[in-house]
Amino acid sequence: MLTLPEKALFFILAVISSYYTYRGFRQIIDIIRKGQPEYYSRFNRPAERVREALLRTITQITVFRDRPVVGFFHSFIFYGFTFYALVNLADLIEGFFPPGWFAWLGNSVVGNFFRLGADVFGALVLIGVIFFVWRRFVKKDAALERFNQAVLLHPDVRTGGIRFDSLIVAGFIFLHVGFRLFGAGSLLAAEGRMDYWQPTATIIARLVGFGPHRIVGWHIGWWISLGLILAFLPYFVRSKHIHIFAAPVRLGLGRRGNTGEKVGSGVLDPINFEDENIEQFGVAQLEQFRFTQLFDPYACIQCNRCTNMCPAHVTGKALAPSALEINKRYELNSIRSKLAAGESSPRPVMEFALSDSALWACTACGACVHACPVGCEQLSDIIDLRRDAVLTKAQFPQELNNTFRNLERAGNPWGLAQDAREDWIGSDLHVPRISQNADFEVLYWVGCAGAYDPSAQKVARAFAAILAHAKVNFAILGKKEKCTGDPARRGGNEYLYYNLATENVEALNSALLNDGTTKRVVTTCPHCFNALANDYPQLGGSYRVLHHSQLIAELIREGRLPEMILSDKITYHDPCYLGRHNGVYDAPRRVLGGDGTESLVEMPRNRENSFCCGAGGAQFWKEEEPGTMRVTENRFREAESTGAKVVAAGCPFCKSMLSSSESAGKTGAPAVLDIAELVMENLRQTRQRLGLP
Amino acid sequence: MKLLVPIKRVVDFTVKVRVKPDGSGVDLENVKMSMNPFDEIAVEEAIRLKERGLANEIIVVSLGPAACQETLRTALAMGADRAVLVETDAELEPLAVAKLLKQIVAKEEPQLVILGKQAIDDDSNQTGQMLAALLDWPQGTFASKLEIAEGKATVTREIDGGLETLELPLPAVITTDLRLNEPRYTSLPNIIKAKKRPLDTLKISDLQTDIAPRSKTQKVGAPQPRKAGIRVNSVEELVTKLREEAKVI
Repeated sequence: MLTLPEKALFFILAVISSYYTYRGFRQIIDIIRKGQPEYYSRFNRPAERVREALLRTITQITVFRDRPVVGFFHSFIFYGFTFYALVNLADLIEGFFPPGWFAWLGNSVVGNFFRLGADVFGALVLIGVIFFVWRRFVKKDAALERFNQAVLLHPDVRTGGIRFDSLIVAGFIFLHVGFRLFGAGSLLAAEGRMDYWQPTATIIARLVGFGPHRIVGWHIGWWISLGLILAFLPYFVRSKHIHIFAAPVRLGLGRRGNTGEKVGSGVLDPINFEDENIEQFGVAQLEQFRFTQLFDPYACIQCNRCTNMCPAHVTGKALAPSALEINKRYELNSIRSKLAAGESSPRPVMEFALSDSALWACTACGACVHACPVGCEQLSDIIDLRRDAVLTKAQFPQELNNTFRNLERAGNPWGLAQDAREDWIGSDLHVPRISQNADFEVLYWVGCAGAYDPSAQKVARAFAAILAHAKVNFAILGKKEKCTGDPARRGGNEYLYYNLATENVEALNSALLNDGTTKRVVTTCPHCFNALANDYPQLGGSYRVLHHSQLIAELIREGRLPEMILSDKITYHDPCYLGRHNGVYDAPRRVLGGDGTESLVEMPRNRENSFCCGAGGAQFWKEEEPGTMRVTENRFREAESTGAKVVAAGCPFCKSMLSSSESAGKTGAPAVLDIAELVMENLRQTRQRLGLP
Repeated sequence: MKLLVPIKRVVDFTVKVRVKPDGSGVDLENVKMSMNPFDEIAVEEAIRLKERGLANEIIVVSLGPAACQETLRTALAMGADRAVLVETDAELEPLAVAKLLKQIVAKEEPQLVILGKQAIDDDSNQTGQMLAALLDWPQGTFASKLEIAEGKATVTREIDGGLETLELPLPAVITTDLRLNEPRYTSLPNIIKAKKRPLDTLKISDLQTDIAPRSKTQKVGAPQPRKAGIRVNSVEELVTKLREEAKVI
C-alpha cells in the first residue's frame, strides 16, 4: 500500500491528467460531430454492429489477414493490454487499500491465474514492443512509412512525426509494463518468497536479491507504471495510438441500408441534386467530409496496408491512401482547438492531404478499403474530392473534358453516334430488341464497350451467339441504352452520372418492371453490372443483375452449354468491379472448369487481393498519372509469370488494358480473351468433335 | 469593354444526321441539339478576355426558336453575363442573321463581336463577314489567336502555308477557328447561377428587318454510302489493284 502523501499526490495528478484527457477526447468528438450527415445508416442494427465490431477486434482477424507475422506480435500487445486494464485496476486498488483486502485472492484459483496472466501477458507485451521497435527502427520495414517520392506528406510527417509518435508510445509501453513487472518482482523480493504463478517477477526478484528493503522497488515500480499512465493519457488522445479506442468503434460503423443489409464497397454515396440549397458539391474543406470520413484518421494506425495494395502507389504514383488519412490526422491535430470551437478549417484539403496527381491516379479499385483492418473508407474521400474538382471547380484532367462532353452529347464515352449503337450486331446475328421480343426473360445490357469498342464487340457478339445457342429468351434495349454513367461517377462528375442514370432507370423500369415479371438483366461489363446493381437502387431502379459469367455458369450447370475443356494453361484476372466490389469470384472460375482444374492457374494476387488493370475510376479515359510503371504492365507481367497461354478477362476494359500493355505486345505473350470468347470457342470445338455443323 | 457573342443552335456533332424523306431538309425530330462548336470557342474566348480584365460584359445572342434558350443558358453557365434571344421559327439565311445582328449591335453597342467562323449545320461561313460589311467594321476571320490592347485587336489567322497577323482598330468583328482555345467544362454552381442570369426575348418584328430568303433550297440528299472495303493479302496485290483497278498509281 502507498503512504498517505503518495496517495494524495497520485490523486491530484490523476485529477489533472483526467482533465486534459477529457478535453482531448471532447475536442475529437466535437470535430467528428462537425461532419456532414451520412446517406447510409451508420447506427441501425446496433446489436449486429456491436457483435461484428467485437468479433473482429477480439479475433484480430483483419490484422492477421495480410500480415500474419506482424499480426502475431500485434496480438501479444492487444491481448496483453486488454488484460492489463484489469491489472492496472488491481494495482490501483493494491496501492490504495491494505493488502488484507485482497488476501482472499491470494492463493485461490482466480488469484493464481490472475497473477499468472499479469506476469505472462506483461512479458508478451514487452516481446511485442521489442519486435515493433526492431521492425520500425532497425529493420526499417519498407511496408511502413516508405512512400513514393511524389506523395504529398504533411510537414509534421516529413519531419518524422510518425517515428517520434511511435518512439514515445513504445517507450511508454516498455516502461509501463517493465516497471510493473519490476514492482511485482520487488514485492516478492521484499516478502522473501518465490511465486510460481509469476515466473517473470520471480526471476526479477532473484536478480535484484531478496530483503525487506526491496519494498522501495515496489514503490518505484508502482509509480512509474501507474504514474506514467497519468502522464501519457493527455498525449495519447493526440497520438496515432488512439486507434485502440477508435478502431473497434470504426469497425462497427460500416454502411448499412434501411433494412440493415450491408452496403458494399462498389456503392458511392449520392449527392441530392433535388436540394437546391447545396452550393458546395463534394469536399473542399475538412469540415465538409461526412462524419465517418472525419472519424477515419483517428481509427487509422498508419499501418500502410492500403498503400501497399494500391495499384497507383505500387506503380510509383503520387497516391498513397494511408498518407491521405495520416495527413488528415496531422492537420486535424494542428487545428483541433479552433475546429472544435466552431471555426472553419483554414485551408483546403487538397493543399495538405493529396496532390492533384494523386487525386487523379486513383483507379477506384477498392483495394485500400478492403485492405484496411479498421474499416476506413479512403475511396469515398477521393471521390468527394474529385466531385469538388469537377462539379464545383471544373478543374480536372483535360482528357476527361472530352469524355464528359461525349457522355453528355452522345450518351457514350467514345462520342460515337447513338444511331450506331446497334452496329455491333452485324447482319449474321439475330439479336432481338425489346420492341421485337416483348416476352423476353433476360435483358442483355450490352454497354458502350460492347456496342462501340471493336475488341468488346467481339465479346458482345460471342455472348449473343451463346445466348442464342442456349435458347435463352433475351432482348436488348438497343438505342434506348446509354452509358450507365460509371466513368462519370467515378470520375467525380456526379451530376452527369445522375442525368444518364435517371434516363437509364426510366428505360429499364419500363422495359422490365412495369409488367411485374421477374426478368433479369445480364451484362458483359462489370462496370455496367456495378452501376445497375449498386448505383441504380439509389435512383429507384432495383434489378436482378447478372454478370455474363454467372449466366453462362448457370447454362453449363443446366446442360445447355458444354463444359469447358481447356487445351491451354489459362489464368483468370478478377475485375475489381466484379470481384472485390461485388464478391463474384466463383462463377467465372466455374465457367473455366472450376477450382482445381489443372489448366486453370491462379495469379499470386487473386480474388479479393486482385490487382487492378488500371482502367477503373475513369482512368481508361485519361492519360495515366506519372509513375515508374503502368498499372496494366504490372498486372500483365504477373499474369505472364503464371506460365499461362491465355489471360481470361471478364471485363471489356480489363481486356483492352491488359492486351495493350507493353509486355502483351511481345511475341509469345499470352493472349487476353474474354470468358464469352473462350466459351464460344469451346462451343465451336465441341460441335466440331461431335460432327455438328 | 462590351463583347457580343452570337451563338447558333445546331444539330449536335455526335448525331448522325438524317435527311427528311421528301428531301426538303434535315430531320430535326427528337435530335439532340447543342451550341455550334465554333461559337462555343467564341464564348470561351470572350470569357477569357473578361477574366484577363479586358472586358466587363459578355452578351450572348441567338436567333431561332424558343428552344434556343437552352443554348443561351449553356453560354451563361460558361460565364456570359446576359443573353438575348431573337425568337423566330423562320429559317434564317446568313444575310438575314447578319442584318438582325446589326440591329442588336446598334442596340447593345459592343466594341467587339466574336462568333464562330461557320456553323456546322449549313457550313455557310458568311455571317461574320456580312455583319462586318453591314457595320462597316474591320474583320478578323478564322482567328487562332487573339490579343486586345490599347483599342486594337491583334488577330492571328491560319491561312494556307502559314500564319497571318492582322491588327484591327476596335470596334471589330472576329470569327473563331478551331485552335483558338478549348472551351471549358461548366461547373455545377455556374449551371445553377446561369438560371438566374437575365435572358431577354425579342421578336423579329421588334427589329424591323427584312429577313426574306434570297435563295431557295432545291433538294437535300444524303451522301452516297461508302462501298465496303476489301482486304488484300499482300503489298504486291495492293499495288496491282491500285494500279489496275483503281488506276491511281
